Amino acid sequence: MAEDLVLDTAIRDWVLIPLSVVMVLIGVLRHFVAKLMRSNQVPDAKIVKEGQVVVRARNLRASANFIPPKSFRARRLYFSNEENGLLYVPKGQAQNAQAQMFSDPNMAMDMMKKNLSMIIPQTLTFAWVNFFFSGFVAAKIPFPLTQRFRSMLQNGIDLSTVDVSYVSSRSWYFLNLFGLRGLFSLILGEENATDDTQRMMQMSGFGFDPTKSLGAEKDSLDIVQHDWALPKFEQRAEAVLRKAL
Amino acid sequence: MMGHNDSSVAEKKSSDPTNDIPNFNSENLQSNMKTIYYSRTFLSIIGGVIAGISGFTSLTGFIFYFLVMAITSVGLIAKAGFSIHSYFDSWNRVVLDGFFSGLMSFVLFWTFAYDIVHIF
Repeated sequence: MAEDLVLDTAIRDWVLIPLSVVMVLIGVLRHFVAKLMRSNQVPDAKIVKEGQVVVRARNLRASANFIPPKSFRARRLYFSNEENGLLYVPKGQAQNAQAQMFSDPNMAMDMMKKNLSMIIPQTLTFAWVNFFFSGFVAAKIPFPLTQRFRSMLQNGIDLSTVDVSYVSSRSWYFLNLFGLRGLFSLILGEENATDDTQRMMQMSGFGFDPTKSLGAEKDSLDIVQHDWALPKFEQRAEAVLRKAL
Repeated sequence: MMGHNDSSVAEKKSSDPTNDIPNFNSENLQSNMKTIYYSRTFLSIIGGVIAGISGFTSLTGFIFYFLVMAITSVGLIAKAGFSIHSYFDSWNRVVLDGFFSGLMSFVLFWTFAYDIVHIF
């Protein structure tokens, strides 16, 4: 094990703690700003209708075993019928929905606002950290890493003999960025605006593509094997009542 | 150390045990999953601070993390009264779900406590 550096207490007082406190406060601030700026979105009637159809189909799938086979088949036909079934959408309409999504000004603005509110504080804080807190060892991470991480973690430190565990404040910033998500979910409750990774995942799966979800529902509905679970019901009722007596 | 009582609401029954057919109330199921998540996050933060103060390094620290997660699982199972099936839909949920979600918070607080106590 290499030498055990002893770092100045001033670094702890003026770098580690302020950085963490600032990040927590910025997160809280972002959450409340997002809450205040949330515009009143009038949901598009067509999209809501499609969503509800999907929910109905899903309910049918979940409780298929509780209704007699004939009525289950009748309902299934109602959904996946080729001509006027609710879930059957011709391929031509597929593109329309997405184009509509993009050109809808409200939706685009909302996405933009959410994007900005996430990126700007991060960028600003990162720039602030780089400007003020570079060029010295800030912390020691308790586990060893290979030499490859040196360039990533020890950005401002120009000595190559220092153990990779001693990191610069930039890596403390990143550690905070990822680690405080858990803390935010505890103190702000769910649905807080600081969960960046969730947002990023949503960004990548952009179009709420209604036709794809309808098609998926139709397929899964077609797959369901109906297993009538209630024929033995009289016996079961008898058993339960017998127990109660 | 069973601090998860602070962050967990009483778990709600999500299925009726008298029925043979498993029938789940999805709202309650989701709320139970959230309880698990909160418990794990909270305990991983506390575990991180303890690991830092005790001076665990590298492998010992990660083993401690898994230990904390195991204790969380045991605590959750005990709180559910050992009848998992009336609160969750499978064993995997209670034991494995969210195992790694607390890891980043653990590492953060571990580093923090370790540095404050040992390096400075």
